[in-house]
Amino acid sequence: MSSTPRAVAATPLPRPSGRATRFRRRQGWVVGVALLLGVLIFWRYSQIPAFGPFEIRGIVAGTMTLALLAMAQSVIVISGGIDLSVGAMMVLANCIAARLMLEQDLGPVVLIALAVVAVAMVLSGLIGTIAVVSGVPDIVVTLAASFVLSGLALIVLDSPGGGTNPRFQQLLVGGFDEPLPATLWLAALLLLIWLPFKRSRLGIATYAVGSDRAAAFLSGVRVGRTRVIAYVLAGFFSGMAGIVTTAFTGSGEPRASIGATATLTSVAAVVLGGVALLGGSGTLLGPVLAAFCLSLIPALMLGLGWDPNYAEVARGIIIIVVVMIGGLVQIPRRSR
Amino acid sequence: MSAATADPAVTRWRQALVDRPAIALGGVLVVLYVVTGLVEPNLFSANGVRSTLLLACPLAILAASQTLCMLTGGIDLSTVMTANFAAYVAANQSGQGPVVALGLALAVGLAVGTVNGIGVGVFKVNPLIMTLGMASVLLGVVTVGLVGDGFLSGSTRLLPVLRTVASGTLFGPIPNNLVLWALVAAALIFGLARTGLGRAIYAVGDNPVACRLAGVRIWQVLLAVYVMSALLASLAGLLFSGISGSVGPDQTNAYLLPSVAAAVIGGTSILGGVGGYTGTILGALILTVLNRLLLALDTTEAFRQILYGLIVLALAWVYVRITGQRGT
Repeated sequence: MSSTPRAVAATPLPRPSGRATRFRRRQGWVVGVALLLGVLIFWRYSQIPAFGPFEIRGIVAGTMTLALLAMAQSVIVISGGIDLSVGAMMVLANCIAARLMLEQDLGPVVLIALAVVAVAMVLSGLIGTIAVVSGVPDIVVTLAASFVLSGLALIVLDSPGGGTNPRFQQLLVGGFDEPLPATLWLAALLLLIWLPFKRSRLGIATYAVGSDRAAAFLSGVRVGRTRVIAYVLAGFFSGMAGIVTTAFTGSGEPRASIGATATLTSVAAVVLGGVALLGGSGTLLGPVLAAFCLSLIPALMLGLGWDPNYAEVARGIIIIVVVMIGGLVQIPRRSR
Repeated sequence: MSAATADPAVTRWRQALVDRPAIALGGVLVVLYVVTGLVEPNLFSANGVRSTLLLACPLAILAASQTLCMLTGGIDLSTVMTANFAAYVAANQSGQGPVVALGLALAVGLAVGTVNGIGVGVFKVNPLIMTLGMASVLLGVVTVGLVGDGFLSGSTRLLPVLRTVASGTLFGPIPNNLVLWALVAAALIFGLARTGLGRAIYAVGDNPVACRLAGVRIWQVLLAVYVMSALLASLAGLLFSGISGSVGPDQTNAYLLPSVAAAVIGGTSILGGVGGYTGTILGALILTVLNRLLLALDTTEAFRQILYGLIVLALAWVYVRITGQRGT
């Protein structure tokens, strides 16, 4: 009878935990993912005779879109929802940007990029507002929104095309052997956008809402407003993902399946990155590192001389196994 | 929330709709059907009815998977890949006779469902992630199998029996696959309402902690649900291949989101514990007719997608409005 883990009576005062324990509990997962990434990069390094700036740039710039989408998804998941429209939003931003940026100078192109990100923020905020006002679960609202956004993308650009300014490309994702721009951009977004947000009142409110919506409401957090702001921030990241895609590929691609695949991969990166789907925990660094792990797998398989199609199998198994291990690690913690 | 302040007549009316969501959905379906029929009069003919039912059937069976999983608070994103895989196996092995081929196709479903069920039930992996990972694995397996001299390479030939079942006509406006659909629907509606497993499915979705304390073996319920889900998915895959007359490694992928939408429109809560298959049937019919309407309007693909999304959203919104069944 007393074996129920959630006995309410006689809870002892929590003992203050040491700095090391706290670090392990809060950042342990991220450190784990970082180690995994380190191993994968070293593996790749040992596969290629001339591992240099060219390779690194390929990895960083090629993963940037997924990393940004993982950030967008994380913000929503931390706030207690899930966003199945991030991929479609990325495709829409990509199409608008590629259409408008074609044969423009650097100045206008930068302005267009800012405008596109702003549009993505407004649209995502609108989706969030609908989810909050209607009371329809996020997963349904964003599912429907993903149809609408992919349709809009097809209206903007009915077939692959468009273009951008080469100097803008260089600025955002670097030339063929410059890994620095893409890396710096990712780091800057994490440090200058996410970190201040996380530490602000709004950030704390976001975690509170994701952790327990009712308790947050009773503590005076404006739940609806916080959720909408989380959507706006996610819109910023997915809009950026669209701009980066434009810069990386130099064109726009309106196929809806690209968005759907990207959305699902972003969910995988979020979970691998240690953000609990229940909401209220995790950071953005973990999912970014996980995104890199996920996109290194096909390259590694190719390097091993395997059929790269096994990469899909490996990716799926890794996601499942890591989450299983995570579940096993968390069970003793929960029942304590 | 706001229902408490509404006047009693409205409340009673609303309560009736909450108890019998099928009435409201049926109304929507009739209106939509008439509107579509005005645009495309062909819909009122026996052939029009037949083609609507024919196309709704596999979607409704895919949506049955989602309904079962959603009732337990989960979701199954691997259904379409299971469907593709099963259909491919059946077509690939059709040389060994229909019994072996269909048996192998259902075995695919059984295997996928068992793994999903063990992951979700025993290892407590989040269903979204478990089935997403499974979809990824299946995609890889199918692709690898198709390359070079993999196990799926070689000729594919559709089983004649599939073609007959999936696209033949029984009489008048009744396609053959309606019989199959009716069997599935009867089993699900009866099973969910009248059997112990059915009630356990609702209970697990409603409150897993209470279930565990009441002695329900949750993992067994979840295992059963995911096995049934994958078996239904392989059945749907076979039907899809019979209708289209071909198989492809990504043939049914476009039906994943509509199958979730059909269950949602049908009033099954994605949070678990609320809903049923009757609503899902109507949801699948509504989506099929809607698709027909959008095609008949002769608009672009882009516009169709936008309208589709907006209508799904509007239906879900109205549903939540009427029933007061808000997400937490």
